Amino acid sequence: MAEPIQVSEEEYSRLSDFLYRRTGMVFNETKRYYVERRLTDRMAVTGASSFASYFARLRSDANGEIEQFINAFTVNETYFYREDDQLRCLTSDLLAERTARRRSGAVRIWSVPCATGEEPYSIAMWLLETWPQVDAFEIEIIGSDIDTRVLQAAEAGVFGRRALMRLPPELIEKYFERLDEDSWRIIEDLRGSVRFTPANLIEASETRPHGQFDVIFCRNVLIYFDEASRRQAAENLYENLAPGGFICLGHSESMSRISPLFEVRRFADAIVYQRPKEGGRG
Amino acid sequence: MADLAKKRVLVIDDASLVRMYYRDALERAGYEVDEALNGLEALEKLLVAPADLLIVDVNMPQMDGLTFLKVLRRQDLPLAATPALVTSTEAAPQDKAAAQAAGANFYLVKPLTPEMLADYAGRMSGRPA
Amino acid sequence: MPLIRKPSTPPTAAAAAAGQTAAALVSGTADERWAAARSLATPEGVAALGEALAAEGDPRVREAILTSLARVASTDSAQAVIPYIRSDDAALRTGALDALRAMPQAVAESLPGLLSDPDPDVRLLACELVREVPGAEATRLLATLLDGEAESNVCAAAVDVLAEVGGPECLPALARCAERFGHEPFLGFAIKVASERIGAQAADRLG
Repeated sequence: MAEPIQVSEEEYSRLSDFLYRRTGMVFNETKRYYVERRLTDRMAVTGASSFASYFARLRSDANGEIEQFINAFTVNETYFYREDDQLRCLTSDLLAERTARRRSGAVRIWSVPCATGEEPYSIAMWLLETWPQVDAFEIEIIGSDIDTRVLQAAEAGVFGRRALMRLPPELIEKYFERLDEDSWRIIEDLRGSVRFTPANLIEASETRPHGQFDVIFCRNVLIYFDEASRRQAAENLYENLAPGGFICLGHSESMSRISPLFEVRRFADAIVYQRPKEGGRG
Repeated sequence: MADLAKKRVLVIDDASLVRMYYRDALERAGYEVDEALNGLEALEKLLVAPADLLIVDVNMPQMDGLTFLKVLRRQDLPLAATPALVTSTEAAPQDKAAAQAAGANFYLVKPLTPEMLADYAGRMSGRPA
Repeated sequence: MPLIRKPSTPPTAAAAAAGQTAAALVSGTADERWAAARSLATPEGVAALGEALAAEGDPRVREAILTSLARVASTDSAQAVIPYIRSDDAALRTGALDALRAMPQAVAESLPGLLSDPDPDVRLLACELVREVPGAEATRLLATLLDGEAESNVCAAAVDVLAEVGGPECLPALARCAERFGHEPFLGFAIKVASERIGAQAADRLG
């Protein structure tokens, strides 16, 4: 690997101010080494000959360069029980609030984008394992993605060792059947608990038929949309939430860079955003 | 490690050089400073770490400073009463009145000097400048 | 063990099916106005959306109107939004500015006019729109503004944008601005920082 390029203090400030404005992520001096390493990689890939030319490319977000740059700093691998603080928040606070005044009925959860299905299956397992009222409600979990190839993989439900690394052996034993040395398949019962559909978050005609949800998990996608797409996606998601419903974003994402439609809520395990109940902030 | 004796200021302004300038002036005056780029980010940060005083710009993306103050003042939490200095480029009487109606404790027309920042921060935190 | 016995028919948003016309945009409930605003994101809808903006009191419906105008992203839709950056209502003028930011190409032709508007508040907000313009053009627009600008707050807004997007061509204009406003501590600081950042980039380009 090449020696990381070293940028001047002024260039680093310029870059970190831009990224903070655009994404809300803070790149201070302590991250400088990693940022310079990432810069070196991306400049090599894009053929940029100087910081100035790479920065111009980043600003114009040519070919999704912001996402390319940032994804080295976010947890972008998908595996089971990833971001389990949000799962804890789901059962300890979000569902408690959504079901406070009823003892039965439907609870609807949307994982979008769901990629190859680790997140919606994790939600299903987590509810079965930890939510005491799991049998009282009709729980509908839908995983959606714009990419139909990943949806096929999600439906097949076959995963490698890496995806399972965070799961305790007894859960693997309970919810998976081993196919060979390095692959496991989700058991039929769990596969039947999650439905997969194609959806483009920017197209209301594709999001609306999914109906309203109690909780939406929408991680590491909105922050990379351009201004116009972000506004449309936020409005679509707002319609797909029941009044008082919640939306969970990725760890490093903040709704403050995306949309003013939602209200921020702080719970013990996570910050989440909420569609106001009727007669909310106004 | 946060210095517990230090008063904490949240600077809310979308202009990065303004935040940098205020941070420098306020840190030199003995305050601990955090920053937010708009009203939404400020609300989010205050839920995680309350501030002793706020310095709030008016024109900001996603949520302007006056909407921010209205939302903050309506919260059923102790932080709803956090004292706020609104800084604006608009000097007309109706602009000042709108800021006061939104819940501003003080209103200053930009640009601010380090002395003004230290003076008003001192007044709001009940500490001599 | 199965979580659901059978998938239910999903409850659809009441708003989604409701009023689709310009009439609903004015006289409907908040949900109906929201739905109408979203369904009018077409060139034919621009006039109705622009008019509704003036009267709309619900911030979320306002947001939907502005998003639809930004989606159309035409000269007409930009012209429908631009008057609102003069509003005395901070939420409306900053909301309008956000919508303009989301349609940079449609706004481009109006930028020189906005940057030389007689109202300094308009010039100040217009600087923020230049952030979305490619670097060389942004540098030219803001350097021109700086040379004729009498209000230090407008200069400060331009300098903040230049600190991110400016190329070395604006360094002389920054220096002249510093001479004129040398007595103003914040602007002096901002120009120094911006010049250093742009200078570092210039050195990098030569090196």
